[in-house]
Amino acid sequence: MALNGALGKQNVNTLNKCKILMVGAGGIGCELLKNLVLTGFTDIQLIDLDTIDVSNLNRQFLFRKEHVGKSKAQVAKESALKFNPNASIVAHHDSIFNSEFGVDFFKSFTVVLNALDNRAARNHVNRMCLAADIPLVESGTAGYLGQVNPIKKGLTECYECQPKPSAQKSFPGCTIRNTPSEPIHCVVWAKHLFNQLFGEEDPDEDVSPDTEDPELTADAGKSALDSEAKKDAIGGIERKSTRAWAVETGYNAEKLFNKLFRDDIKYLLSMETLWKERRPPQALDFHDLPGKDLQSASTRSTDVWTVQECGDHFTRCLTALKEDLAKRGEDGMLVWDKDDHHAMDFVTSVANIRAHIFGIPLKSGFEIKSMAGNIIPAIATTNAIIAGAIVLETLKILFGKIDKCKQVYLNRVPNDRKRLLVPCALDPPNPKCYVCSSKPECVARFNTSKITVKTLQDKILKGHLNMIAPDVEIDDGKGTILISSEEGETEDNEDKYLSDFGVVNNTRLKCDDFLQNYSLVVTVAHVEKLDGELEFEIVGDLSQCHPEEDGDSSAASGAPAAGKAADDEDDLIVMEDLELEDKEMEQSQGESVESRKRPAEDVESPAKSKRKAVAAAGDSEDLIEIS
Amino acid sequence: MEDNLENITEDEAELYDRQIRLWGLDAQRRLRAASILLIGLKGLGAEIAKNIILSGVKAVTLMDPNMIDEEDQMSQFFVSSAPVGQNRAVASAAPAQLLNPMVKVTADASNPSDKEDEFFAQFDVICATGCKTSLQCRLDNLCQERKIKFFSGDVFGFYGFMFSDLGRHEYLHEEIKRKKKDGQEKEEEGITITREVTNFSLLENELKFDWKADSPGMKKKIRQTPSAFFITRVYEEFLELHGRRPAVSTMEMDTKELQNLRILVLNKLGVPAKCIPEDFYQYGYGELSPVCAIVGGVLGQEIIKAVSQKDAPLDNFFFFNGVNDEGMVDKISV
Repeated sequence: MALNGALGKQNVNTLNKCKILMVGAGGIGCELLKNLVLTGFTDIQLIDLDTIDVSNLNRQFLFRKEHVGKSKAQVAKESALKFNPNASIVAHHDSIFNSEFGVDFFKSFTVVLNALDNRAARNHVNRMCLAADIPLVESGTAGYLGQVNPIKKGLTECYECQPKPSAQKSFPGCTIRNTPSEPIHCVVWAKHLFNQLFGEEDPDEDVSPDTEDPELTADAGKSALDSEAKKDAIGGIERKSTRAWAVETGYNAEKLFNKLFRDDIKYLLSMETLWKERRPPQALDFHDLPGKDLQSASTRSTDVWTVQECGDHFTRCLTALKEDLAKRGEDGMLVWDKDDHHAMDFVTSVANIRAHIFGIPLKSGFEIKSMAGNIIPAIATTNAIIAGAIVLETLKILFGKIDKCKQVYLNRVPNDRKRLLVPCALDPPNPKCYVCSSKPECVARFNTSKITVKTLQDKILKGHLNMIAPDVEIDDGKGTILISSEEGETEDNEDKYLSDFGVVNNTRLKCDDFLQNYSLVVTVAHVEKLDGELEFEIVGDLSQCHPEEDGDSSAASGAPAAGKAADDEDDLIVMEDLELEDKEMEQSQGESVESRKRPAEDVESPAKSKRKAVAAAGDSEDLIEIS
Repeated sequence: MEDNLENITEDEAELYDRQIRLWGLDAQRRLRAASILLIGLKGLGAEIAKNIILSGVKAVTLMDPNMIDEEDQMSQFFVSSAPVGQNRAVASAAPAQLLNPMVKVTADASNPSDKEDEFFAQFDVICATGCKTSLQCRLDNLCQERKIKFFSGDVFGFYGFMFSDLGRHEYLHEEIKRKKKDGQEKEEEGITITREVTNFSLLENELKFDWKADSPGMKKKIRQTPSAFFITRVYEEFLELHGRRPAVSTMEMDTKELQNLRILVLNKLGVPAKCIPEDFYQYGYGELSPVCAIVGGVLGQEIIKAVSQKDAPLDNFFFFNGVNDEGMVDKISV
């Protein structure tokens, strides 16, 4: 606990009176809690839903091996109390989305500090702090990079003032199904296969050859299909779900293998146009795999398996996963988890077998886990630095000097102004922000006769606009209720299309979230078809939107693309290093904070104002590795 | 570079998973072969100890001849609630060891000034915190002779610095290059790895820099030098003269002395008065925990870089000024 005098003229006793809410007790959280307690804060509440994993221990220093499996919030509290037994720390092993933590709860704090690892929770806390009008210090790290953003309603940008690109990079379906060229394509396919065989079936995750590949002329695809269907009975299974067929065969490894890696590949080969300028794939037979005679002694996850070893692991994992599935009962299903050894080894073996077929380099289980699990590398030192910067900004807020607050970015190497830590001036709120402006509005572009009420609720309002329990009313003069957050009131609407309710181009939907104290008007822009495979697209800034008459849409520039919801709850991050111009990209996928702010003191070289660290907002556990 | 390093075990791969994904297996192998001497176990020392022990080095010796004092409560988390009067290094060793059972942590309560030069030869890295400039220079010189990686650093209230001398340091530099493949629209990313060398200079040479020299660009040089460099020189002067740091308990007396030393340092260096703000002393008492975290985070990462021979090291000072959030890297002698 700090001694008076150490904080300059500021009185340490002020800190005793502050009530701090810390959201997240992970990588940044552990460091932050230590700093807070030592600096002299004595009234702290922390929330974290997570439990401790071995892979946390390299940086989350309040946890030790014997704590694995226990609540992060609870153990962090116990460890931090040893630093100052007189502090009062309340630990909530709970979700921040829980309605117990409403606006009144947030209002009871002096300041809220985020130490989170996913965008959904960040969005939610941002809204709660706006609703409660409590200052928030937002933060994130990824690898060597990090950032701290102080946020105050009406004074600064909120967390959602700038659009962020889709959380997850998606690949065209035909690349995944027909023409993979990189390891990541095989990994995505392997995860899709897992879900097809054991998890929730998703038509977007088809693993069979795609006859609608735009590279194929209509005829070529069709004739391949016809000839295949004729000469090979297995071709007929296309019309049956992969799952149903797998169940019929009893998850027989040989049959599955030969269907996926021999027959489907032969079928792909029959689409000759695909292979005119590509290396054609080579079909494999279950009983004749390369590397059969090689006995590699190693079992380390960092070694690359031979194709034969992949085949063996494929067989082993199929059996194990089949048993896991059986334990779930009749309609049970498995959820892919990077930390489940069978699920992970299944994806490693399948991805590598497919990589071999397409002449793509094979990868170790360790590397594939990075890609499949979207793991963001994380280290103690970056978290320590960022947690230190959070406290320094918090002190300014508490001592009435919020005007002196800065966004702080941690770079990997110093910029050309020698700065490793770059303080940047805070930007004022975006008047068109669909979250913090006085009348939040946004535009949703989609085909009204293809979007169901359920899609609106789950994918658009909850998935994309981060509402928790939305109520939706059509602004049609009649006040037609489309969605009610009360259970059972509007469930009959779920499978109907929006056009069934008279929703057309320019219809306004009044969306409310009671918990977040948030009202948003969504204006519908009807388009027949969106670019790529997008189902819908959200445009936050209305001036960026130009609804079109016909289906030939051009994606509004700067709009966040509404991709599929990330299939892992931890999300991704992009960072652009300062050396963007020097082509020193750190990483390239996932979430990015799209801000392009000027360094606070950078007045002498406006040309360089764009050379700005844009670190990620996430101590995320997740990353897609550059392959 | 030696290739006879043992492979990482599955247990290590699991524990160090998230960092191996950042710096790679070779870097991790080098880390776990390194023995480090950490002198000074105040707030900054505790942060560095935590960071390097977590990273999985082979052994860390914690050395501090001093007793726990009241100021440790605000930044030294190993002993922040321990009774005053116990030796800092000895009291820190047990809680430090708990951070990572795979690292050998030992304590040494002796005074580094009393150690023979030979004692230091057993370490791969020596990091001196809270030491007088004269001791830092002595250690740096003997480290250079013995090809030991040398670091020093300190924190005074909101201010802090780090210095490193890695001698002739070889490292691998990774660069991600984007290039277009023929016939493809998309840019492909490829990683190129090059072997680079940086030659460091001695601390005493850095501090000999002649600010009075009438050379072109000197005004710009002074303007662009981080304020925390000039400010920390005042505290280093205090430490050298009095053998202790300014303390909260003797604030009134120490403030006067700091004001005197400010003038002395300005004159000695021959730099304009504005290089050290008049009210600087208000922000320099105790060691602020967040500042220790920042300087200790940077310093810890530099030790990891030096040992793992991965990535360009910071050459050769890092200065932090918590009053204006500035964290800058500079080489004074250039």
